[in-house]
Amino acid sequence: MSKTAITLIILFLILIPAQAVFFNNLVLFNVAVPLVFIYLIITLPITLNDSLSLTIGFLTGLAIDILSDTPGVNALASTILTFVRKPVFHLYVSSDIDLADQRPLPRTMGTAAFLKYAGTMTAIYCAMVFAIEAFQIFNLELFLLRVACSSVFTFVIIYAIACLTSPGREKRL
Amino acid sequence: MKEFFEFFRRYCKWVVLLFYVALSCIMLFQSDPYRHHLFLTSASTLSGAIYKVGHNVVSFFSLREVNADLNHRNAVLEAEVLNLREEINRMKLAGFTDTMPTPDSVAHFDFIVANVINNSIHHAQNYVTLDKGAIDGVKPEMGVIDHSGVVGTVSAVGPHFSRVISLLNPNFRLSCKIKNSENFGSLVWDGIDPSEALLEELPRHTVFEAGDTVVTSGFSAVFPPGLPVGVIMPDNREHKENFFTLRVKLFADFSRLSNVQIVVNNFRDELVSVETNNVVNSDPASK
Repeated sequence: MSKTAITLIILFLILIPAQAVFFNNLVLFNVAVPLVFIYLIITLPITLNDSLSLTIGFLTGLAIDILSDTPGVNALASTILTFVRKPVFHLYVSSDIDLADQRPLPRTMGTAAFLKYAGTMTAIYCAMVFAIEAFQIFNLELFLLRVACSSVFTFVIIYAIACLTSPGREKRL
Repeated sequence: MKEFFEFFRRYCKWVVLLFYVALSCIMLFQSDPYRHHLFLTSASTLSGAIYKVGHNVVSFFSLREVNADLNHRNAVLEAEVLNLREEINRMKLAGFTDTMPTPDSVAHFDFIVANVINNSIHHAQNYVTLDKGAIDGVKPEMGVIDHSGVVGTVSAVGPHFSRVISLLNPNFRLSCKIKNSENFGSLVWDGIDPSEALLEELPRHTVFEAGDTVVTSGFSAVFPPGLPVGVIMPDNREHKENFFTLRVKLFADFSRLSNVQIVVNNFRDELVSVETNNVVNSDPASK
């Protein structure tokens, strides 16, 4: 089993319970929800097989749904996020040749590119989750506030995790 | 056949995407919270175990034993208050006539004390997970209260854990009335503030003031009548419709739920049976 696969399994086993037990209760001002588990999806290797990526994305969302009693909400959003991962990545990085089997991290793709990539992915995910929940209760002001605050809060934590877990010399693409 | 496989190979990721999206949508649009499969809820054994570990760590810092003891005593006292209240009502009626039938027992309700091991307040549909399950006597559709007010009803029960539909869930409607008034309405959460809910369908002729207490009506087998729910908030709007919709400040602080009591109605089965007309009429005069 490759080092990347082991890292992803460890991340899954840590991030999912952490999201359920800790981050779900770390809601600021009742609007900013840190959806930190998407770090797993954001840092999936870009060259990973599409079907396998989608399966990992779906299972990650499903696990969160089971633990958070949000049936289908995170499973749907995670699957779509995994699907748009490559197009978003290529918005900021022109070629993935140098990234073979590597995870998109500040160390591998450069801090600036990672910030843009992670920021976009986080905003997309938060918008999707709160849009899906808005099918049940819709309040435009609250929706926009939640998307904005949760995106910023999640992004800050994700960047902190990325810096802490993958220190090393930065490579610019 | 070869072309089919070629087509499948080419569009494999789209097929996988559609499959997972369809699966997610099935879960998403199964709106009845009582029909969620136990395995897919926080009351499942694995989820419950994870939350139990988290709860054990957190409750260490919040004096768990002291709280549980106080809550247990509260449950006993609450049961006593309800029994005494019913006894007073019976005595009042007996004062008017000595032909009133008196029940053998007034102990309609028992309480099971439980710990909250998971709770959400920021989703569109919120749930609470408790550390008591079928083994402890918990059944679906039992009411859940804490020391300050109504919390919700049990929706899914595992052997050791149960999941509660919180009052902060639009699928949950609670029959309530204003204290000392006989007009009742329906309390439902509007998804905006976890400390407030709406009391809907209250008849226009109802007399009330801001600050009046809202209590359970008791028109169900789930909650006893008179349990506190919240207070009516000031409202300067002019009401022109036939039914009032009032904003209610909830007594229960859902962000700090810790210990709760599950309400066990001892006569629930009989009540449900009567309401669904399945009971055998044993009155000889009707034959």
